[in-house]
Amino acid sequence: MAVTTPGRPTRLSTFRARLSAPRLLGVPLVWLLVAFNVCVGLWMLLSSVKSASEIFTDPWTLPHSLHLDNWARAWSQGQFGQAAANTVIVVGGTALGTLLLAAPAAYVLSRVATRWNGGLIMFFTLGLGVPAQVVVLPLFVVLDDLNLIDTLQGLCLVYIASSLPFTVFFLTGFFRTLPVELEEAASLDGASPLRTFAQIMLPLARGGLITVLILNIIQHWGETVFALVFIQDTSHQTLSLALLGFLQQMQYNGADWGGLFAGVAMVVLPLLVLYVWLARRIIEGMTVGSVK
Amino acid sequence: MTAVTTERPSSVPSGPGPARARAGRRRASPLLAGRRRLFWPLVLPALLVYTGMFAGPSLFTAWLSLNKWAGAGPMEFVGLRNYRRLFADPVFEHSFVNTLWIVFGVGGLTFAAAFGLTMVLREMRGRKAARAVLFFPNIVPSVALSILWGFLFQYGGLVDSVVKALGLQHPPNWLGQSDLFRVIAIGLVWTSTGFYTTILMAAVDQIPPELYEDCDLAGAAAWQKFRHVTLPLMWDVVGVCAVLWTISAVKVFEFIYTFAGAAGQMPDASVWNTALYTYGEAFASDGVPSYGTAAASAVVMLALVGVLVGLIRRVMRRDAVQF
Repeated sequence: MAVTTPGRPTRLSTFRARLSAPRLLGVPLVWLLVAFNVCVGLWMLLSSVKSASEIFTDPWTLPHSLHLDNWARAWSQGQFGQAAANTVIVVGGTALGTLLLAAPAAYVLSRVATRWNGGLIMFFTLGLGVPAQVVVLPLFVVLDDLNLIDTLQGLCLVYIASSLPFTVFFLTGFFRTLPVELEEAASLDGASPLRTFAQIMLPLARGGLITVLILNIIQHWGETVFALVFIQDTSHQTLSLALLGFLQQMQYNGADWGGLFAGVAMVVLPLLVLYVWLARRIIEGMTVGSVK
Repeated sequence: MTAVTTERPSSVPSGPGPARARAGRRRASPLLAGRRRLFWPLVLPALLVYTGMFAGPSLFTAWLSLNKWAGAGPMEFVGLRNYRRLFADPVFEHSFVNTLWIVFGVGGLTFAAAFGLTMVLREMRGRKAARAVLFFPNIVPSVALSILWGFLFQYGGLVDSVVKALGLQHPPNWLGQSDLFRVIAIGLVWTSTGFYTTILMAAVDQIPPELYEDCDLAGAAAWQKFRHVTLPLMWDVVGVCAVLWTISAVKVFEFIYTFAGAAGQMPDASVWNTALYTYGEAFASDGVPSYGTAAASAVVMLALVGVLVGLIRRVMRRDAVQF
């Protein structure tokens, strides 16, 4: 008896709390928002295989006939095929290049104490607050000098430089959480510091490296500001530029909503697949640094 | 050989204090010396790329904002004239006000929604799934989101049909000049809420549940629990969120730019923020590009981020509650 009584009011009040007004209103509201997101996604997919008039007249029905020609038109005429290839090259190159530069730097910044560490980490971190518009004008001059305007390499280089602040910041934090003992053991066994880094630390840090790689890919998949400024020729455009170009074409060639939705789906679907596969990792990677 | 092995163990315990012993070990360790030699070779590549392609250009923009320059040819030093011209330009003034609306108005709504969702999600069934769906817009490119959002508000589009079903016969022209910015603002709330909800939820998850049980015993209402338990214990995280929001709010570009869609190069100037103004001055204006004013506008953006982040840190600074 004495044991059960303290539990009772708690259970009663949680029961009452379950029925309180905020919850009665809140829970359906949350599911309404969730439903909204899901519906927008479904509606995008459905519309991408409908005729233009059907998109307006029957937004919620299944398509009468599958208009896969929307996808074909977007892929070839809308140049999404070329843009997708360009995007994969730029995004892949950027992600690898960023890691190649940031991982070694973050390693020594977190592990080798010199009087420069604090200042350098601060210097990199400050870059997090700099909007793209601030660097774009001088960067144009720099890339022009290097003859890299309107090239995928140039865009890659800009992306790498602009993602270093976050990557260095993220990885210094991550390397700090790894145990020191293994490194010490390796060097006692006679491994050189460089070898210790490559063969002991990098495999240990695999989780953090993969997370930062995925975040980098997500971030650049639809990047627009830099691409808009540094890419001019449609044969070099990335997916976001292809979308904007398609929108502008519709002005002259009439509204091709089906094709537009197919284009949007081509941009969103790869991310959705990645998200379904790795949601936990993506969410934690993007948010965990702010809490801990 | 033997001289070395006998000398080392004797020297360490003979040190007078722990501080001396640590210093001795640091000097002796070949591991640290070797790693120190590694420091600059591993930092420099990243540092050079970052300085040459990002940090350096930012500084150069500050210098550019004090000059008159048409993209080619020599620069002419004009002092603060670019800034005076900027603040005299009604389009810039409007863009700046819009940026403030995004930072504070959209920010306020986003945080209110995120807090509300956090409170509901805290004890809801299926919270992980709900959170995952609400978070997803955050990783979708803004261009795609903006197209979808704009299409919802098209004439005769989905929003119109919902509004008509609710009994309003003549829905407003959502994408007309008077309402477009509001439509954009609500869209921004939609795309950013999930991210902050997730961060706040992670913070709430670290609060010991006993505290809430205590509140229940004391008969606290939901609002009191939020005010006296949740908020104080996640104050630091709220501060971090505010900083992250400020930075990303000033950067907002694609979501607005895409609304140019059917209208040509740039959207209507009434929805510009400073990011669009900067871009427009430099790359999309009809006449000679005015790089000086564009740079000045960019510096104003950077200064705004700096001032706001400084203010947030000052306001949020207080003793963290240990738990």
